[in-house]
Amino acid sequence: MFEFAVAGLSDPVQATVPWLSLSILVPIVGALLVPLVPDKGEGKQVRWYALIVTLITFLITVAAYLTGYDPSLSGLQLSERVSWLPDLGLTWAVGADGLSMPLILLTSFITSLACLAAWPVSFKPRLFYFLLLAMDGGQIAVFAVQDMLLFFLAWELELIPVYLLLAIWGGKKRQYAATKFILYTAGSSLFILLAALAMGFFGGGTPSFEYTALAAKDFGTGFQLLCYAGLLIAFGVKLPIVPLHTWLPDAHGEATAPVHMLLAGILLKMGGYALLRFNCELLPAAHSQFAPLLIVLGVVNIIYAALTSFAQRNLKRKIAYSSISHMGFVLIGVGSFSALGTSGAMLQMISHGLIGASLFFLVGATYDRTHTLQLDEMGGIGQKMRIMFALWTVCALASLALPGMSGFVSELMVFAGFATDEAYTLPFRVVICGLAAVGVILTPIYLLSMLREIFFGKEKEELVSHTNLVDAEPREVYIIGCLLVPIIGIGLYPKLMTDSYRSSIEALVNRNLGAMEQVISPTAPLIRGQAPVPAVIQAPAVGAS
Amino acid sequence: MPSAEELAWLIPVLPLFGAVLTGLGLISFNRTINRLRKPVALLLISCVGAAAALSYSILFNQLNGAPPVEHLFVWASAGNFVLPMGYVVDPLGAVMLALVTTIALLVLVYSHGYMAHDKGYVRFFTYLALFSSSMLGLIISPNLLEIYVFWELVGMCSYLLVGFWYDRDGAAHAAQKAFVVNRVGDFGLLLGILGLFWATGSFDFQGIADGLQNGLAAGTVAPWAALLLCLLVFMGPMAKSAQFPLHVWLPDAMEGPTPISALIHAATMVAAGVFLVARLDPLYAQFPIVQTVIAVVGTITCFLGASIALTQMDLKKGLAYSTVSQLGYMMLAMGCGAPVAGIFHLVTHAFFKAMLFLGSGSVIHAMEEVVGHEPVLAQDMRLMGGLRKKMPVTSITFFIGCIAISGIPPLAGFWSKDEILGQAFNSYPILWVVGFLTAGMTAFYMFRLYFLTFEGEFRGNDTAMQAQLLTAAGKDPSEHHAHGGSVHESAWPMAAPLAVLAVPSVLIGLLGTPWNSRFAGLLNPEEALEMAEQFSWGEFLPLAGASVAISVAGISLAVLAYALRRIDLGQLVAGRFPAVNAFLANKWYLDVLNEKLFVRGSRKLAREVLEVDAKVVDGVVNLTGLLTLGSGEGLKYLETGRAQFYALIVFAGVIGLVVLFGVIGGPIA
Repeated sequence: MFEFAVAGLSDPVQATVPWLSLSILVPIVGALLVPLVPDKGEGKQVRWYALIVTLITFLITVAAYLTGYDPSLSGLQLSERVSWLPDLGLTWAVGADGLSMPLILLTSFITSLACLAAWPVSFKPRLFYFLLLAMDGGQIAVFAVQDMLLFFLAWELELIPVYLLLAIWGGKKRQYAATKFILYTAGSSLFILLAALAMGFFGGGTPSFEYTALAAKDFGTGFQLLCYAGLLIAFGVKLPIVPLHTWLPDAHGEATAPVHMLLAGILLKMGGYALLRFNCELLPAAHSQFAPLLIVLGVVNIIYAALTSFAQRNLKRKIAYSSISHMGFVLIGVGSFSALGTSGAMLQMISHGLIGASLFFLVGATYDRTHTLQLDEMGGIGQKMRIMFALWTVCALASLALPGMSGFVSELMVFAGFATDEAYTLPFRVVICGLAAVGVILTPIYLLSMLREIFFGKEKEELVSHTNLVDAEPREVYIIGCLLVPIIGIGLYPKLMTDSYRSSIEALVNRNLGAMEQVISPTAPLIRGQAPVPAVIQAPAVGAS
Repeated sequence: MPSAEELAWLIPVLPLFGAVLTGLGLISFNRTINRLRKPVALLLISCVGAAAALSYSILFNQLNGAPPVEHLFVWASAGNFVLPMGYVVDPLGAVMLALVTTIALLVLVYSHGYMAHDKGYVRFFTYLALFSSSMLGLIISPNLLEIYVFWELVGMCSYLLVGFWYDRDGAAHAAQKAFVVNRVGDFGLLLGILGLFWATGSFDFQGIADGLQNGLAAGTVAPWAALLLCLLVFMGPMAKSAQFPLHVWLPDAMEGPTPISALIHAATMVAAGVFLVARLDPLYAQFPIVQTVIAVVGTITCFLGASIALTQMDLKKGLAYSTVSQLGYMMLAMGCGAPVAGIFHLVTHAFFKAMLFLGSGSVIHAMEEVVGHEPVLAQDMRLMGGLRKKMPVTSITFFIGCIAISGIPPLAGFWSKDEILGQAFNSYPILWVVGFLTAGMTAFYMFRLYFLTFEGEFRGNDTAMQAQLLTAAGKDPSEHHAHGGSVHESAWPMAAPLAVLAVPSVLIGLLGTPWNSRFAGLLNPEEALEMAEQFSWGEFLPLAGASVAISVAGISLAVLAYALRRIDLGQLVAGRFPAVNAFLANKWYLDVLNEKLFVRGSRKLAREVLEVDAKVVDGVVNLTGLLTLGSGEGLKYLETGRAQFYALIVFAGVIGLVVLFGVIGGPIA
């Protein structure tokens, strides 16, 4: 049955211009050139340099999307393949399909805004921007590479800038937070390496780590389950999945605003992307066994994190927990066997990337003024900071999935996709939808309480007398404006975004439905090259297990 | 030249355009825009005015028998699923469009006067235009999903407007409560929509009804599931239209500026629930049990609202509970399978209740000249009285509103309420008894409001009472400074809308006389014919006579107690039955219950979960770390700041592993 899968993946459209390699190399080379930039040490020149480099990177990815990417194709595009270290079996293989292209765009977009958000950074600016640019390249590489060993390299490379950004520019408990982060993620990524090596060497054929080669292999179900479990832990830490989440509130609680934007906007999406890319795409048999677990974990994420967010008194940690809650919808979407649900998961990643980045930026901007993150010490600051209040309100409403903004569409797609997913039994769907919908009530409770405690009511005299509460400056309005354009654009007309990955997701879901049929009735004959299985199949429910 | 129906999409888009323009202006050039009050007001009034003109031409076409128009486009799709959006114009929509644009326009004009001294004038107008846009969008939605979109958007506007005076703690809490209680309803609505989509594959009103019927007939949908889905969907209207027990947000929402209370929390948004039930009539008509539930909920709400209104001392809260009660009547009509009667009451109620609220705003505005900008004082009827001589326009229009809502013929409320009571009499006689008694209570509490506010002696300068009220509200009387001015009639921007609204409040009921109902003729011509055929004075007069009689009885009691002061109800009822009085004054203890059970309960649960997260989940992590000396805590003691070193070790390790495996793998490849 994997012949069909191969047909979907093995005809990569070659790139005429190496756009993706450029988008990875430009920020990395840019980072290496940072020491040569003339700067007096306060970062006033370096920041312009870094901004320009990230903008060029953004333009490269946009150009790649516009000139080399056809959203109607489900297969790999913009593909480049250079034998890198043939002795090591390592190939420089990059490419993009519907799963990676939107996230590549998101990465370069958010990073350029994070660069602008980092404007006030004056402590060790050269090192800061060096790390920011390195991170940009690393993150794009994570989404663009088409070789599992390269993926692992990019994944690890990416951790170092984050670790240093946390450890040097973080808050009071930065050492603890950074160490926890690196141990958690580096430890868990060991599973990626193990799985990559296992998948590369086993399963017959010549050892290769390229996705297309791995997809062509016929792994046994037991082997798939083992790899799946390992990868789930690795990506579950990143996403994060409760109970593997405790690094996140610490890391987010200590990071500065621009790093924060990148953590929430892009880093968490690496987990979701990798789940789709490896667990769903390469291990379909195991996925059909594990999917109900993903859905249950998704619901736990939504409710558990919403409740902890409600009880949090620290603003940053509150928003951090709200991120975990929102990622629960990604898990439900990934676990559903419907194109609508999986599409919703993809859109939720993009949407949360934008909304999460904007909220974390606002947290940073507010902290710059109030010098406290404790909600008990804030209150009534809306009277002095009216524009900031307006920006906060819009972003909080976006986060609580108000229609007209992207979060609503993605959550709705996940809900509708899962509710109509015939792969699960009706009682299971009813319970899961009912519980996930509790999130619909909990989200406004914690977000609106938060707004009330920060902005509404009488001004806290202590705060007003000790701090200078100036309203939002144009740079800040501009950053939020840039983030709101896609948030509202997707909310008003989601096809703008969903069409860019629709065919890839449909191909993926159809493959998985086929795989599920295979698992459930292994003896059923499957004709090679058969047309995609209809979207709604009458397979026995796996959800009841 | 396209017909007005073809241009219906412009109706919500025009106010939206105005709102977006001023909203962006406020964010980018805050000070400049805040100074441009008149241009902004003019722009937004003309946007809503153009929408109103378009709505009226649509209504006119529909009256002349133009066919309904529907346009759809694909909004989102994945796999086999298509989510369509678009707009639909039919008689029901046309009536609602005309109603909403009319009241929105009048409220905009009124706000020019009411908000004249407020520094948030421009922001207020922007929110108003945004609300109008969302509400109009809701009306022309062709399917449940699009309704849900605008449903949430009107909820957001309500949140923004209730919390408009964000320096007031009360407003902050009320806004949040309004949003969260509505989200509880939306929780059901969303699940219901999803379930109906699962069962029927459609979001379209008629498509859902047909699909569910087919599903039930074919046995693919269990009857209990169909019932459950219908009830879940009904949770949405319950919250939005303030039906028991989800009504708790509406009285609190009176913290918002009064024009908002008139537009959103009396005339339009709260009626959206009734409107949705009317839209879903093809669905609900299949399930008599669901209809009975709707009727019972409506009746409870109707009685509850009226009974609480009896003891309210706050003018706006009194009107708010009256709104709750009247919405109950509308829901009762829906439950009786008489959507035309319910929508008719929606229309008449919108006019006279908007007028009453705007009138109360005019009173509050005048009172503020005396007692200062303190809602606790300016809205309390114990400080009012004798305002008729000083505010003739306000008092006359308020009086007209009181007669209209009490159901005295030939004013609007009589025809619509009598229609509902007649339907209830035929369908559920027990519910009719409750509705009938409530009609008497309605007449009593409305005239109580009128007499306490406009008749007798002016009590506004009673400083002892002021201090007492402030203390009761938990505020320090010594910090408050009364203005000490005098009460006078409001300027024309506020008086004119009142006068305009008085006309439909008197006359519009005549369009719905049971023997020749033009209103029913538009919405449902067959039903109108049937009504006219079945009409007999022998049936109509006893029922109508009974409702008029009980209303007159209610009014007489109010006259005796509050105008002539012949009887002291405080001593007569409150003294003898303290339990009843306390029960009503505490609003059936529902707010207390809500606070204790849900608000505190959820906080406690959240704190406990956080505790578990910090102590158990993270505790395990830190413990493992300590045991293996690899954790952050462990490392913290071993090293002092050389973070880079550790990162390098990790990196080198990774590279090493890759190279190692590459070398091993190399020869094999």
